[in-house]
Amino acid sequence: MISTVIRHESAMLLRSAQIWLIAALIAALFGYLFLTQVQAWLNVQTALALEDKAPGLTGFLAARFLAPLAMLFSIIAPLFAMRAFSNEYRLASFPLWQSSPISSTALVIGKYTGILLVLLLLVLIPVGMVFAMGLFVPIDLGTLASATLGLILSTAAFTATGLYFSSLTRHAMIAVLASLALLLLLWLIGSAASSAQRVGGALPLDALRGFSIGERVAGFFQGFIATGDIVFFSVMTALFLALTVVRLDALRDGGTE
Amino acid sequence: MVALNYTSSVPSDRDALRTATLSRICGRHPSRPRFMPESTSEILLDARGLGRGFGAQRRTPARSAAPANPATAQRGGIRDLTLTLRRGDVLGLLGLNGAGKSTTVRLLAGVLTPQTGSVTIKGHSLEDNPLDARAEIGYLPDTPPLYPDMRVEAYLLLAARLRRLRGRTAREAVERIIGRCSLDTVSRSRIATLSKGFRQRVGLAQALVHDPEVLLLDEPGNGLDPQQTEELRHIVSDAGQKHCVVFSTHLLHEARSVCNRIAVLHEGALLTERPAAGSELDELFARLARGEPGQDSGHKPDTGGARPS
Repeated sequence: MISTVIRHESAMLLRSAQIWLIAALIAALFGYLFLTQVQAWLNVQTALALEDKAPGLTGFLAARFLAPLAMLFSIIAPLFAMRAFSNEYRLASFPLWQSSPISSTALVIGKYTGILLVLLLLVLIPVGMVFAMGLFVPIDLGTLASATLGLILSTAAFTATGLYFSSLTRHAMIAVLASLALLLLLWLIGSAASSAQRVGGALPLDALRGFSIGERVAGFFQGFIATGDIVFFSVMTALFLALTVVRLDALRDGGTE
Repeated sequence: MVALNYTSSVPSDRDALRTATLSRICGRHPSRPRFMPESTSEILLDARGLGRGFGAQRRTPARSAAPANPATAQRGGIRDLTLTLRRGDVLGLLGLNGAGKSTTVRLLAGVLTPQTGSVTIKGHSLEDNPLDARAEIGYLPDTPPLYPDMRVEAYLLLAARLRRLRGRTAREAVERIIGRCSLDTVSRSRIATLSKGFRQRVGLAQALVHDPEVLLLDEPGNGLDPQQTEELRHIVSDAGQKHCVVFSTHLLHEARSVCNRIAVLHEGALLTERPAAGSELDELFARLARGEPGQDSGHKPDTGGARPS
């Protein structure tokens, strides 16, 4: 039953012209960013030769090319997830699912997986670009794997966030803006906390650092895989999926779209 | 088979046009399905004491004390509704707009959860075993649940798979329903390009694709031309022979043409449920349309809509 939902959701995404347009623009952006960073790597060769612990090409690209993409995916993922439920409410097609023998949990997991599979294809593009460098120069597969894991885990959490906000409203754009607002806040918490630490602020902003996406994702791009970071993104994903299930059950109890 | 002795005070501001339409006396249709005796056939749908949407009013004394416009206050609510459908029953759910027909059908379909009471579909409780219960249901909401971007065939295949049909069985079921609902000419078309009548038929096809035991149709006649209405009547009568059907409408003659029993809803309560042939239905419904239903025998006036279900 879940496989039917996954197939339907992926097909709905891949059938949408807007999604292909977004994907094409993003792929072009990936290509441009990749080339500028490879150029930057070549430009700093002489400086790097003098350093003891100079990063290799993979380390350089992971930090300068892949890491900023995590922020980009926090915009793309809600865009891909925005239609999941909002569109159903708008088209009045949701009763098809509500009256079928499928549980809210299976429906949420199916829709989520369908969207994530399409997004993972996009994640593989920049990873593939770095991997392709291996044809010409030796690359550090460990660092690349760690950075890929970071991108996948963060994208998974961003998609769950987008899916939850999509289940709240029939207006897809409001769902996107709400997801972006929350994710932006989670990105900013880290920088606010670190600047507060520098000036010795009185507010306990440091306690919020644990919730900072920026801080949580940074390790992956330096080649460190920390259990705490994996748990953070897994819990964020599970939390928003669970909230989506609760929301769908509330609709059955008479909640409005 | 329960008719509730329950009537509410009624507002008098009813739509004049509807009054004219509804008070028309309509004749019995020659090919209406036979009325089956209660004791011989299996109970497929059993709804007991269904209530929804009146709880909030109980918590708002000001509103229940002075029902300035009870029709608005109770719109879409349902109280203490009991229905039993056996194999072969085609029940017309008749009422004015806002009487609670859609809410009733949604409660029976499991799309809404009742605040009181329970629904049992072919022995499966919608509360305790919702998935098995919903597997026996075919539901067509008032707006057909369609995806404009999908092709008719692919959409029906999705509906079949969602109702537990797999692989070859699902494809055969889709072929069968395409033939049965006369969708052959449009089976490869995108739903967005279809006329309203065809969309309604695709909606009906998704409800019928898995040959459900309980077919729930919410105003399926909307937007159909006379020829399509006739086809709909055939499809519903056909389904009613083997299974059971709930058919909501606000037109008495439409209900008469397909149903063997009619339940009249008014302001969320079941006024009466009787065989479709009875002439007293004409009188009752004409009175409803004029906004004066309270005088039907055995019905007592309401005290203001604040009564617990």
